[in-house]
Amino acid sequence: MDSGFGFPHHKCASEAELLARLSRLVTASPSSDEVLQRILDDAVLSCAAVRGFLAIVDHDRGALDVRYVSGQGWTEQKRLARLKASEETGRGITSLVAATGKPYRSGNVLEDPHYVPAFEDVRSEIAVPLIDAANRIRGVINLESSAPNAFDDSHECLLRAFADLAVISLTIADHRARESALVEIGKELNRFGDTDELLQRVIDVASEALRFEDCSLFLIDVATDKLVLRASRGPLAEKIGQATYDLGEGLTGWTAQHGVPVRVSDPPSDPRWRGRFEEIPASEAGAYMAVPIKIHRGVIGVIRVQRRKSPYDWLPNDFTDDDERMLSTIASQLGIALDNRRLVDQLVKAERMAAWGEMSARSAHMIGNRVFAIKGDINELEYLLKENKIDPQRALEILESIKKGIFLLEEVLNEFREFVKATQLELEEADLNDLVKQAIDEGFPKRSATKLTLNLAPKLPKIKADPKKLKRCFTEIIENAINFQPDGGEIKISTSLADARSKKWLRPSQQSGSYVQVRFEDTGPGIDLDKKPKIFNPFYSTRAKGMGLGLSIVKGIVEAHNGTIYENGIPGKGARFTILLPYEKEKPKGSSKDAEVEGE
Amino acid sequence: MCRILVIDDEEAVRNAVKRRLERDGYTVDTAESQAEGVKLIRSQNPPYDVVITDMVMESPTSGVEVLQAALSTDVFTEVIVLTAYGSVANAVECMKRGAFDYVEKNVPGVDVFELLSMKVKQALERRRASVATIRKIEQYHTPDK
Repeated sequence: MDSGFGFPHHKCASEAELLARLSRLVTASPSSDEVLQRILDDAVLSCAAVRGFLAIVDHDRGALDVRYVSGQGWTEQKRLARLKASEETGRGITSLVAATGKPYRSGNVLEDPHYVPAFEDVRSEIAVPLIDAANRIRGVINLESSAPNAFDDSHECLLRAFADLAVISLTIADHRARESALVEIGKELNRFGDTDELLQRVIDVASEALRFEDCSLFLIDVATDKLVLRASRGPLAEKIGQATYDLGEGLTGWTAQHGVPVRVSDPPSDPRWRGRFEEIPASEAGAYMAVPIKIHRGVIGVIRVQRRKSPYDWLPNDFTDDDERMLSTIASQLGIALDNRRLVDQLVKAERMAAWGEMSARSAHMIGNRVFAIKGDINELEYLLKENKIDPQRALEILESIKKGIFLLEEVLNEFREFVKATQLELEEADLNDLVKQAIDEGFPKRSATKLTLNLAPKLPKIKADPKKLKRCFTEIIENAINFQPDGGEIKISTSLADARSKKWLRPSQQSGSYVQVRFEDTGPGIDLDKKPKIFNPFYSTRAKGMGLGLSIVKGIVEAHNGTIYENGIPGKGARFTILLPYEKEKPKGSSKDAEVEGE
Repeated sequence: MCRILVIDDEEAVRNAVKRRLERDGYTVDTAESQAEGVKLIRSQNPPYDVVITDMVMESPTSGVEVLQAALSTDVFTEVIVLTAYGSVANAVECMKRGAFDYVEKNVPGVDVFELLSMKVKQALERRRASVATIRKIEQYHTPDK
């Protein structure tokens, strides 16, 4: 493995030079694997050992893993088997060093009671622990020689320096992992899409980065006031949505009730422990940590992590202050994101309710007048029949008027239906340009006096969309543009990535996302300034009533896609509608679940 | 010949009312807004006998404006206000200010056109009675004639 630092593998390098180069590598290399392997290689060479290995403590499993090997005779099998015996018996020099935290030398392993044979040629062995700033054992460097009494004080001293460098490298790797986990989680929290999916992603990223094998997230259900499992990594994943705790019940419930983190090393011995829903059987349960997810109005949930008991009784694998800080940070970020989502949902619902209210008032007025007119026709018909003045032509005229009235009533009904349906989307991956082209095919008259100019940006990112509904939005706007330009005129349709100017029309909470846009510009009369605020209201129409969906429906559909629509043309010169739709930069997500209309 | 003005922003409503009242033998004019209605009221000589106006047109109180225009032109003009079902607050306000009556456009199970025809008849009777009373008072004050 050549790092590019060009360290020459020969023994003439002075120890000082050796350490200086390794320190440099520790500081500069992005890969702790590379650094640790190099440290071990250098240790083997500079101490003239026949072979060596570097075992790293896996705190999550509570085990020592032979992660790196160097020198003669190693196979993958030998590497994996090297510490098997000591794991099973608790004996062995490596285990001894890990347990005591002190270096150990054996000049003649054949007479050493701690030695567990692995290679036949071994006569001397030296092992030095890796101990971090919190005084926790992180691993052991172990060198072997086929000569007796091969290692002296100077070797031990050098090896301790190597061990410290290895600890620094491990610590840097930890910090990097934590940092990237926090960044990754921060990004996740800004995504759109389903809340449960978000929770699971956060749990996954946190567990991978922090090596929490079993991590679960509970949120308080407002209706029942119980903690409900919403995401889990580990065996509990099967019980998502089913596993619940009362507030105060068990360690998890206790955390939610008191709003403070809990860390215990042996949960079954804690009086608060109930063991109702455990990732790990009680007999194997090791360290446990739970932190509350808090927002301004109190605790809304709990994230908890759990470890298995270590097979070594000397290995403390409880969670550290660092772990708690990290999990608390994730919990508070998540709390803010969930609260934000709740507020946005509320806002959307409130807007929707207001729109419903307005729509109901307008329809009541329209329905009232229609029914009044129909009753007038019936009154007339009745009169003509009773007075025997009926003339078939006259009767047909009245019937025609009644039919027209009923037809208009059905249109009101239709608008109601569309309004409800606008937010029930069937999402699939779609290409904005394709949708625009199809909408033109379906909605733009073949022989039209209106000139159509298309300017579609190539290779736009795919969006999650309900193609049918979006196309109807586009045709509605195109039809409006044609209707308002009876003498021809022009329609320009362009697509592109959304620019910063367009994105200003989004809600603040949406502005961090990525959007594509489609713009419709015409050369018609445009929209008067005083009418602009009303054009997206239900039943607002200045043209003769057609079968169009109406811009209120268009707005409903676009907003259900988590997008927005605005009009900013110049009155007298033409209308200019822009629709912004979100796309995912990676891992496409999105669900209609959050957007469904309620109280239909 | 009695003359009636019907003001409503819905053509279908105007036409239906006009047709029914013409059947009763009245002369019926129509206006499609508060503004047009007020203009017609002010320009008539002799004034309309009865004005039927929608309550909500340009503004929620269009009916009140029409009422005021009608009474200030001729205090004997009788005004009937049409209202949407269930919103009588403004109509009651009109009654306080001297409207003859109000009629809800959509009363379930009621033939509102017969109701309107009857109200118009009553309004005309009241108008005749009022005019007759005033004549008597005038004769009383000027016995020489």
